[in-house]
Amino acid sequence: MLAQVDTFVGPEVNWFALSPLIALVAGALLMMLAGALTPRWPNGLYALACATTAGTAGALAMVQWDDITDNGPTTLVAGAVAFDTFSMFVTILICVSIILVAMLADDYLRGTPNDGPEIYALLLTAGAGGVVMASANDLIVLFLGLETLSLALYVLAASNRRSNRSGESGIKYFVLGGFASAFFLYGIALVYGATGTTNISEMVVALQNTVDLETPDGLALAGVALLLVGLGFKVAAVPFHIWTPDVYQGAPSPVTAFMASVAKAAAFAAMLRVLVIALPFYRDDWRPVIWVLALLSLLVGSVVAVVQTDVKRMLAYSSISHAGFLLVGVEAAGHTAGELDPGSGMSAVMLYLMLYSVMVIGSFAVVLVVQRHAGGDSSIEAFRGLSMRRPAIATAFTVFLLAQAGVPFTSGFIAKFGVIQAAVDVDSYAIAVIAMVSAVIAAFVYLRIMLTVWTGTPAENSEPIRVPLAVGVTIAGAAVFTLFAGIIPGWLIDATDTVTQYAR
Amino acid sequence: MSQYLPLVVLLALAVVFGILSFFASRLLAPRRPSSAKEAPYECGIVPSREPPERFPVSFYVVAMLFIMFDIEIIFLYPYAVNHSTLGFYGFWAILFFSVIFFATFVYEVARGGLDWGPMQRYRQLATDAAMVTPERTLASTVRRVGTEGREPESSSPSAA
Amino acid sequence: MILAADGASLGFPILTAIVVLPVIAAVLVLFTPRRNPEYAQLLAGAATVGTAALTIWLLSSFETGEAGFQFVSKQTWIEPWGISWHLGVDGISLFLVALTAFIFPLVIIGIDPEREHKSYLAWMLLLEAGVLGTFLSLDLFMFFLFFEIIIVPMYFLVAGWGHEEREYAATKFFLYTMFGSAFMLVGVVATAVIARNSLGYLTFDLIEIAEGANFATSTGRWLFFAFAIAFAVKVPIVPVHTWLPLSHTQAGHRSVILAGVLLKLGSYGLVRFGIYLFPEAAFWDFTRYLFLTLAVIGIIYGAIAATMQPDLKMLVAYSSVAHMGFIILGTFAFTEQGLTGATLQNVNHGVSTGALFLLVGWMYERQHTRMIADFNGIQTVAPIFAAGFMIVMLSSIGVPGLNGFVGEFLILLGSWDTARWWTIVGATGVILAALYLLWAYQRTFHGVPDEKSKTFPELKVREAAVLLPFIAVIVFTGVYPKPLLDRINPSVDALLEHVEERTDLVRPEPEISQEQLERAQIELEEEHGEEELSTEEGSDEGEDE
Repeated sequence: MLAQVDTFVGPEVNWFALSPLIALVAGALLMMLAGALTPRWPNGLYALACATTAGTAGALAMVQWDDITDNGPTTLVAGAVAFDTFSMFVTILICVSIILVAMLADDYLRGTPNDGPEIYALLLTAGAGGVVMASANDLIVLFLGLETLSLALYVLAASNRRSNRSGESGIKYFVLGGFASAFFLYGIALVYGATGTTNISEMVVALQNTVDLETPDGLALAGVALLLVGLGFKVAAVPFHIWTPDVYQGAPSPVTAFMASVAKAAAFAAMLRVLVIALPFYRDDWRPVIWVLALLSLLVGSVVAVVQTDVKRMLAYSSISHAGFLLVGVEAAGHTAGELDPGSGMSAVMLYLMLYSVMVIGSFAVVLVVQRHAGGDSSIEAFRGLSMRRPAIATAFTVFLLAQAGVPFTSGFIAKFGVIQAAVDVDSYAIAVIAMVSAVIAAFVYLRIMLTVWTGTPAENSEPIRVPLAVGVTIAGAAVFTLFAGIIPGWLIDATDTVTQYAR
Repeated sequence: MSQYLPLVVLLALAVVFGILSFFASRLLAPRRPSSAKEAPYECGIVPSREPPERFPVSFYVVAMLFIMFDIEIIFLYPYAVNHSTLGFYGFWAILFFSVIFFATFVYEVARGGLDWGPMQRYRQLATDAAMVTPERTLASTVRRVGTEGREPESSSPSAA
Repeated sequence: MILAADGASLGFPILTAIVVLPVIAAVLVLFTPRRNPEYAQLLAGAATVGTAALTIWLLSSFETGEAGFQFVSKQTWIEPWGISWHLGVDGISLFLVALTAFIFPLVIIGIDPEREHKSYLAWMLLLEAGVLGTFLSLDLFMFFLFFEIIIVPMYFLVAGWGHEEREYAATKFFLYTMFGSAFMLVGVVATAVIARNSLGYLTFDLIEIAEGANFATSTGRWLFFAFAIAFAVKVPIVPVHTWLPLSHTQAGHRSVILAGVLLKLGSYGLVRFGIYLFPEAAFWDFTRYLFLTLAVIGIIYGAIAATMQPDLKMLVAYSSVAHMGFIILGTFAFTEQGLTGATLQNVNHGVSTGALFLLVGWMYERQHTRMIADFNGIQTVAPIFAAGFMIVMLSSIGVPGLNGFVGEFLILLGSWDTARWWTIVGATGVILAALYLLWAYQRTFHGVPDEKSKTFPELKVREAAVLLPFIAVIVFTGVYPKPLLDRINPSVDALLEHVEERTDLVRPEPEISQEQLERAQIELEEEHGEEELSTEEGSDEGEDE
């Protein structure tokens, strides 16, 4: 036995290709270590270090992007990691989100016991987990990424030790997330049982050779179902959304912004990877499920948001309805999964994720500013008359809300348009119409917030709202991007169109 | 699927056994409660405090250290057994792994994971410096005891 | 194809300038100092007047007799999706553009928002850009973009500067129109995607799709209705009209814009993106009779509802429903006169109802009530105001010699051939219009003024300056509509030819030349005009006593 493995050769590792991921992990470790060994750093330096790390990782991802466009997609580390524009796009998205969230977190953390390197290191770790999820070419690696992301997020959600809500949200997220991970893992096991491999490339080959569409394999289908439960939880699709409002409301606003952007993006990337890339042969089985998930998410998300009185909860429910929109894109991708012409579903989802991440971080940045001013109150009353006190912030908030409603000349419209186009492209008219109608219902929610912001009069005793520089820059940057991408989206569409050239 | 049949049978048997023994003990066992039987510790020690109690967080930190090293050992053991076959690739991998572990260990120690004395974590240089300012007087540092109800002194320590 | 032909060109992207100028001004307005609202007002006024000047240039250099789109400017915009910045104007849209460019400066100069001038003016300018963009877009994507963006400034204008129930009204307006647009977006995308099958490439270009793409019969019908829902809400056609009276009454002076311009987006859209894009579906018996029936229901229902209103603004709002019914009737008659009349009536209704809302708005400003019962004998207190009201009202009724008559007459004439029974029922709407408007006039302006009405101030100079252009247009169009008809007719003709090629629509062969036909037509009008004039006058006098 031992003699046989005498000639063990480690897999060839292209370290440079992994550099974005390495940068994130190394940055996190270094920050923890250096932060622990040195006295307190000057104000803002922790956030700067975090943003620099994420920026470096993002820049490296762009370098890799060029490499991929020149040499085509491959897999790394013995086929465990996919090296394609799909993963790089999500990496860049995550890095951008980390930078924005770090800028939000800076002022938020000052003067709290958390003002140290830990939160930022956790952001980077979670981001690294997200990157792994997006670029995993093996279900086990995918699970590793999922857990890295989730564990960091549990801690982040509970990180506001002064608030009971935060603790509640952390524990809720942890318990339910643990369940979801278990489902996911069991799903992997069943799929492994059916195909004999966890590697996505090998799985495709195995299914190609053995799949029998007439008599579907119960084991594999059960596995797909369990995988869907796990992923559905992460993307907050109805009926796996129960945690979302409480966690979004309880978690510190920067963390909520992080969850709505990074966690959602990584989970959707993983979903595309698992369903569209790994399991195209079962597409006729999982697509109806996605259809139903999309329908429920769209309707429940937008309808329940209407009756909320807390802006963070409203945004939480609206994020559920956005997840519904994204699922419409996934459903569209499901029609042509595995074919030579993969359709526009995947590209549409990627585009949506990018644009949505920026606008949702912007929205939560405004919520953060208002919430800090109102002493932790994020109810809609706290926003009354914002336009009189901070017209610029109110304008930016309006831009974000209009973008979320999908109004033209904002990025939200482009995002929705892409998804609808993808759906119509494959004749999914019903879900496209439902999506648009639910967007109208959701628009009512945004209108309510806008009305409060613009027509209410602020309370008399209010002191001026403080807007820290970094937060102001984040809001302004996100607003400018939201408008810019709404008017000149061609370059982003070109970029997302390449993600269908994924590594096989 | 037939090879799974024994597994299913075993599963069913286990469930049935559990349910059976649960109800059987209820139905068959005689009930003679006594104070000794109700005590939390059967060895006879009378607990002096209520059982649900919060441990100081330091215990958890040490427990985490323990788990950390546990995990490291779990990986080191197989490596040690197979180190010659794994060759240099294995060596570098395990070294890399150990370095990251060491980093976490350093972090925990630096954050006071092994400090069992009075709380002194997060001591900031600024606070240290503030300890030796000229504004500090004896009155502002030492709290007078037993002054409750008396006339407040004119030189109340308001400077602090 | 004729419709695709490029007409006049100035070597200067005048249409782009018309759309972009208000946007730039809107941004600049935001940077004016808050303390001096007059700067903002000056800037906004200059921008709208500039736009109007550009439009006059456009009108003067528009080539009469040319059917196709003129001043076309086309730039690739979002290449991966085949979307381009494509603007063009033809006879159908020309006067709607002119109407928009004409009403906005009057509203901006003539009406003081009283508070928050900066954001008010910025929203108004954005609204103007959106409306102009909608009328000029020749790309489905762009059209939708502008069509949808209009909702935002309008929402804020109603919600911010309206009356007591403004928030409810604004929300209702937003949701109704958004709901319509939801279907339209899917329709827009589906049109482009399905057209790709026959075109071979993805494009959102209206002309390329309309001329080149073939839709299966049922597909075309579905798509048509996806568009039609949005337009029906905007027009509004009867079952989806309930947002309109509410928005009008709550919008304050913004109802001038609402009635004058925004409603036309729907009727214009039905022609350009309904009939032109999906001729088969629009000419389909079901569609045609459905719309004709709804139009007639709208005419009668709007008129009856208007008669019953105690609130002047509600009355005018419901009269809008009736008038828009006429436009739909003419549009779906599928005859040259009908469609020409509908196009002209779009403009007429914008002018006369816009002016009516303006006047009612001033009445509200003076007495802080819109109830008919609260006004008495204004005619004796403010005769000039009453005279202005009279002219505008008569134009709205459709009295010969004023603009309303030309449009309504052409519509009824045109629909007589193809939809006789609908025409007969619809024509009673003209009589009903005389009933409710004259009755309302009698109740408010005649009689002996009571205490409150005695203090009713006379028309101010500023108000007169705003009202005069309206009256000038009303009279000019009523007396001499030829310049308008000459420009509208070729485009309408080409559109019907387009429909004829794709459906079994058969138009009567013109046995005489086009010129003769026009001359005959105008003579005919004048004849009928005199007839109706005498009867109307008779009834008018009867009402007065």
